[in-house]
Amino acid sequence: MRRLSRKLPVANIKSGLAKVSFVLFSLVFFSLLQAQVPADYYKQNCASCHTVGGGRLTGPDLKNVADRQSREWLVNWLLDPDGILKSGDPYAVKLQKEARGAVMTRSPGMTRAVAIALLDLIDEESKLEKSQFAGAQISDRPLLEEDIEEGRALFLGRKRLKNNGPACVGCHTVNSMKGLGGGRLGLNLTRAYARLEGRKGLSAWLVAPPSLMMNPIFKKYPIDEEEVLPLVAFLKNETEKDEPENATARINFLLYGIGGAVVLLVLFDLFWNNRFRGVRRPMVKESYHG
Amino acid sequence: MDVRSQISMVFHLDKCIGCHTCSIACKNIWTDRKGTEYMWWNNVETKPGTGYPTRWEDQEKYKGGWEKLNGSIRLRSTGKSRIIPNIFHHPHQPGMDDYYEPWTYKYDELFTAPEGNDQPTARPISMVTGKYIDIEAGPNWDDDLSGSPVYAANDPNLKGLTEEQKMQLSAIERLVFFYFPRICNHCLNPSCVASCPSGALHKRGEDGIVLVDQERCRGWRSCIPACPYKKTYYNWQTGKSEKCILCFPRIETGQAPACFHSCVGRIRYLGVLLYDADKIEDVANLPSDELIDAHRDMILNPHDPEVIKAAKANGVHDSIIKSAQKSPVYKFVKEWGIALPPHIEYRTLPMLFYVPPMLPVMTSMDGNAKKNMCEGLFPDFEKSRVPMEFLANLFSGGNTGKVRYTLKKQMAVRQYRRAVTVGDIDMEAAKKMLVAADSSVEEAEGIYNLTSLCTFEERFVIPPANREEAIQMMQDPLEHKQSVGFGLLEDPERGA
Repeated sequence: MRRLSRKLPVANIKSGLAKVSFVLFSLVFFSLLQAQVPADYYKQNCASCHTVGGGRLTGPDLKNVADRQSREWLVNWLLDPDGILKSGDPYAVKLQKEARGAVMTRSPGMTRAVAIALLDLIDEESKLEKSQFAGAQISDRPLLEEDIEEGRALFLGRKRLKNNGPACVGCHTVNSMKGLGGGRLGLNLTRAYARLEGRKGLSAWLVAPPSLMMNPIFKKYPIDEEEVLPLVAFLKNETEKDEPENATARINFLLYGIGGAVVLLVLFDLFWNNRFRGVRRPMVKESYHG
Repeated sequence: MDVRSQISMVFHLDKCIGCHTCSIACKNIWTDRKGTEYMWWNNVETKPGTGYPTRWEDQEKYKGGWEKLNGSIRLRSTGKSRIIPNIFHHPHQPGMDDYYEPWTYKYDELFTAPEGNDQPTARPISMVTGKYIDIEAGPNWDDDLSGSPVYAANDPNLKGLTEEQKMQLSAIERLVFFYFPRICNHCLNPSCVASCPSGALHKRGEDGIVLVDQERCRGWRSCIPACPYKKTYYNWQTGKSEKCILCFPRIETGQAPACFHSCVGRIRYLGVLLYDADKIEDVANLPSDELIDAHRDMILNPHDPEVIKAAKANGVHDSIIKSAQKSPVYKFVKEWGIALPPHIEYRTLPMLFYVPPMLPVMTSMDGNAKKNMCEGLFPDFEKSRVPMEFLANLFSGGNTGKVRYTLKKQMAVRQYRRAVTVGDIDMEAAKKMLVAADSSVEEAEGIYNLTSLCTFEERFVIPPANREEAIQMMQDPLEHKQSVGFGLLEDPERGA
């Protein structure tokens, strides 16, 4: 087949056309698909920082956002928040100040069509008495000692998350952990409660984690709403304790790793002590020194 | 009876002068390509010595050949379940040092070195890395007993000899050695073929030559530890294994293999043997001391009408049968029984045979007079400087009786011919000796003729190739002819 197409230019053009039309078709198809479900897009990418009518989280409440800025400005902001901030736009700088320095990022798959669809959705939702994006329905009850313990169990994976999501400790650690500490792929969560400005922000984050790493994992296995409160309680407790980072854990981890590797190599060598290692050199050596 | 034919060789070790001409002829034709520099499909070893690769006969290390297990045999090196933990490497292969690191000399330096106080020298460089190396060993490093306290003393065939016998072998002024030329044995029960996971190794139907299909070889290297003679080699350039092909392109065109053709001592005999393939499994399974006889029993008499009938029924061509009837190999192996297979205990049923050497007349210098150390004209081979056990370890799996038989017969032939040509030995005594050695006057003349007076045509008797017969079994021969010949083996880059 390959040889045939190399030889016949007609076949080449045909296959080229097929490729181009396939790419075009899929682009159109997928953008349509995304535009059709702006509500899902909002939940996955926006809801952890913004509510509609639920008050401020990390980012401002988006109710009646159309009254505050022009449609054109908002679309541009969604498409390239970084660029607008850098250009020194006064409103953007004000937003950043209000968010205590947190910067909105361009969300994955954002296009002009998606931005317009989202803004239309927000306008619709703003007119409603109670928007579906008013924020996570997490109970306001005071946090108890049991909640902290429950949260610790969930965090450490002693208790399985209801929807089979991975336990936090796989990637995160907190300073109160002893020994080798927790995972180091993700952030240290000791001050997560403070960073996300308290109960409301942290809960919103946990309901739909928006970060690049966590989003695809927890989209499939979301944290159950009943589990959010104990985790918040646990993380709040950590922030309040605010222990200094255990500096030796990091070095210990490395040392244990090296030590373990050495022990394994020694064991392998003992186990395969009689393995084949050449004939002539040992023979000559033995004849002269043996 | 499943009669098949095998092109087979006899090496008459008494005639080998250890000149390595065979090795060089083979190398010049087949293994001077990149990646094959270290290979010697044909090599000549000095015995006692450790050979190439070093101590190849030590199957405790290299795990070659078959072993008996629960009434059956299995490969020592690998197997269907045993391959799994070692699937990506074979731990018992000889390393490069066990073969040797091939080298050349940087001759350029003789001409291009800047003027200095010393003569320029051509330093050795590795043919693998291209860097300067210190030569530590070569493929015949132990040639003519060089380095014998290390190499000769470590010959695996010394196993089972008494300390006294070992001392004698290396005593000053009593040193003794002989030569042992080796190529692939084109075995009947080849362990290399059995071990190949890709099915690339095969034994060619019409002449029994064992070949590696270069298209199908995937470089698993199972054959390398599996062959107890270490006669399959891995080409590190192509990533495939290669081995002696018994010069089949030469044989198919009626020429002798390169090693045979170039042999200075005319020690090699090439001919066809007919054998019974039905017996292979049973014979390979026999106890060690029965192997030699059973192996010889598999070889069929090409004059027997029953055998001829069965051979024809099996598609063996008339010309092959006719050739088998004139085979010098058949005479040495079967009629006279003086050629023995090397290391039959590996159970691969090798199809190359060796006439064990008569070891040298023992003399010593007494002042200016030469003094025989034994009575009579010829030495008593029982008192030979190389113990019978050593030869038996090499050629009969430790069975000294088989070696004694061949030496006794050869000795009787010498005595008889001495009586005929010189007459200083009593003819009656000589004839008595022949009878005692299970021989006769006719046989003695036959052995004498084929050993000493043989022409090229008597030593080299093979049938026409009859390739079309073999091809016909797989494909229409006309179609085959049209699909080979002029053309390209690989597509040219510019596009076709």
